[in-house]
Amino acid sequence: METLAIEKKDLYTPVMATIDRVEQLTGTEKRFHIVLPHGKELNHKPGQFVEVSIFGFGEAPISVSSSPTRKPGFELTVRKAGRLTEKMHTFTSGTQIGIRGPFGNGFDLEKFKGKDVLFVAGGIGLAPLKSLIEYTMDVRDDFKRLIIVYGTKSPSEILYPAEIEEWQKRDDVEFHITVDRADDAWKGNVGVITTLIPPLKLDVENTMVAVVGPPVMYKFVVMALKAKRIPDANIYMSLERRMKCGVGKCGHCQINNSYVCQDGPVYHYPIIKELEEAI
Amino acid sequence: MNSQYKNLSELKRYFFDQETARRFISFLMKKAEVIAPHSKGEKSFAYQVTTDPDQVVLNYPRTIQPLKKFFLPPRETLLEYDLEKNAIKKPELEPKDRIFLGVHSYDMKSILLLDYSFKKGNPESNYLTRREKSVFIGVSYQSDEYHLAEDLGIDIHDVSGFSLFLDPVEKGFLVFEVDEVGANLLNEFDAGLPIDTPLEQDFSERKPKLKMHHKRLPQIFEHIYHSPVWKKVAERCVGCGTCNLLCATCYCFDVRDEVELNVKEGKRERYWDGCMLNPFAEVAGGENFRPTLDSRTRHRLYRKFKYLTEQTGELHCVGCGRCSKYCPAGISLIEIVNDLIDDYNKQQKQAVTLV
Repeated sequence: METLAIEKKDLYTPVMATIDRVEQLTGTEKRFHIVLPHGKELNHKPGQFVEVSIFGFGEAPISVSSSPTRKPGFELTVRKAGRLTEKMHTFTSGTQIGIRGPFGNGFDLEKFKGKDVLFVAGGIGLAPLKSLIEYTMDVRDDFKRLIIVYGTKSPSEILYPAEIEEWQKRDDVEFHITVDRADDAWKGNVGVITTLIPPLKLDVENTMVAVVGPPVMYKFVVMALKAKRIPDANIYMSLERRMKCGVGKCGHCQINNSYVCQDGPVYHYPIIKELEEAI
Repeated sequence: MNSQYKNLSELKRYFFDQETARRFISFLMKKAEVIAPHSKGEKSFAYQVTTDPDQVVLNYPRTIQPLKKFFLPPRETLLEYDLEKNAIKKPELEPKDRIFLGVHSYDMKSILLLDYSFKKGNPESNYLTRREKSVFIGVSYQSDEYHLAEDLGIDIHDVSGFSLFLDPVEKGFLVFEVDEVGANLLNEFDAGLPIDTPLEQDFSERKPKLKMHHKRLPQIFEHIYHSPVWKKVAERCVGCGTCNLLCATCYCFDVRDEVELNVKEGKRERYWDGCMLNPFAEVAGGENFRPTLDSRTRHRLYRKFKYLTEQTGELHCVGCGRCSKYCPAGISLIEIVNDLIDDYNKQQKQAVTLV
């Protein structure tokens, strides 16, 4: 049958990569630095994800948290949230792990070039955004202001203390952080992430916004951005869904007619407005 | 008039009496594996590999399971792994000659639609390898209360996808030669000479089951996303997922790792999943993005009448009637769609009144 004359792909076999560094970040999050075999690079875009494979445990979609500019290898930040991620947390340097991908669209970097960039990160949403943040810092001249707002539950859950210290020191990056609940040592902002947005001085027409956080966060962040009169067309957000296969087949990640693993996970806000199930 | 009969009338046709038909099945069995409907119990039918031509049933309303299981098995090993060596092996799949005999036009259509889904974007080798060397021989059927295919534009005598097509007549079958593969089979079998008298045409009128022409259906799905019909269906639905599993065009799957008792080896297996099942859209953090039966019912129907239709221009419900016939709660797809049409018409009337 002539309609079947098409190149067939083996879609589900992972490559065996090696974990070469593990770092405990918080009580529930670790980061893993991973290298592919034969010196290959992942060549991902900020915002893309991989399917991590642990035999006997299955696969899970995990965002790449490092910038493609920082080679060799790549970094995954993993929260202990189920059987597979609990197992992954027992892994030490030298452990082999299966990787498929990168999958998804990633951020449309062309749209961010020459603009101010506002990063809005809630909780572990900072992991995928860190890829974009590092990228903009590494090709700093391509972008104007870099403004990061980051909200997390408590000071002990701050994901990347070392990086954040560095970002705070830089005079070409504006960094704002808040926690929902302070502890005795905390001297910074207390309150949800949306409290950081109203005080920002923004050139709204020329500010591109990248939002990643827990599902509950998006509506409120959009309201805060609209209150600032940021045009809808300047907003991009990355959505979490159950990307089981990563190749647009299994159906689990579907939002209305959109497969998050193919058309997302990064969505332009005008598209999200058309997707009833999105946020 | 029935447009597909016009189609048939352009094809070369032969007459096989019952004995010739039986010999033809034996001939096919020598060429390849022949998969055909067989009786299962008193009133049920299933596609299975033929070992005896006399066991093949060509007069049946529908099989319980659609054809998809031969291309997307209910359970399939994607990988085998050795946990001690952390090594993986992909099971080899070879294309196999298979003849599917006695297939109804809606089931054929479902395979053509699945072809799209598995070729699109990332062409999947597992499905396409199984699909590669398949030949289909169709048969006409008597529509029952659950069939909706004709209302959805798939005629009983639609020959698209088939190599040969059988139409039962008194004392045997008319055998229509649809494509070259079919012509070669008939030639090799020595089917004799084609019939050269004009085909008698059936002008009988069919009473429509749907309240709207199928070409307009995708358009009404633009307007009924928030219809009360979804909640009404959800009140009866038990969320068992039978409609997904038996749907001829549903292909969603899950993947699970199974470890042997020796804890040294295991398999990564894929198996059918269904969007009607509660955990389908749940993520690791516990968030469920489609937590209610009405939202899942809507998603199932939108996949059949809108989402894929926007890409292919075709309805992805083939009207086989399995979801309705085997629904333990007695939910009828025909009723749902007609209720949606009523709701749409009501909305339109209100809009006119407002103007």
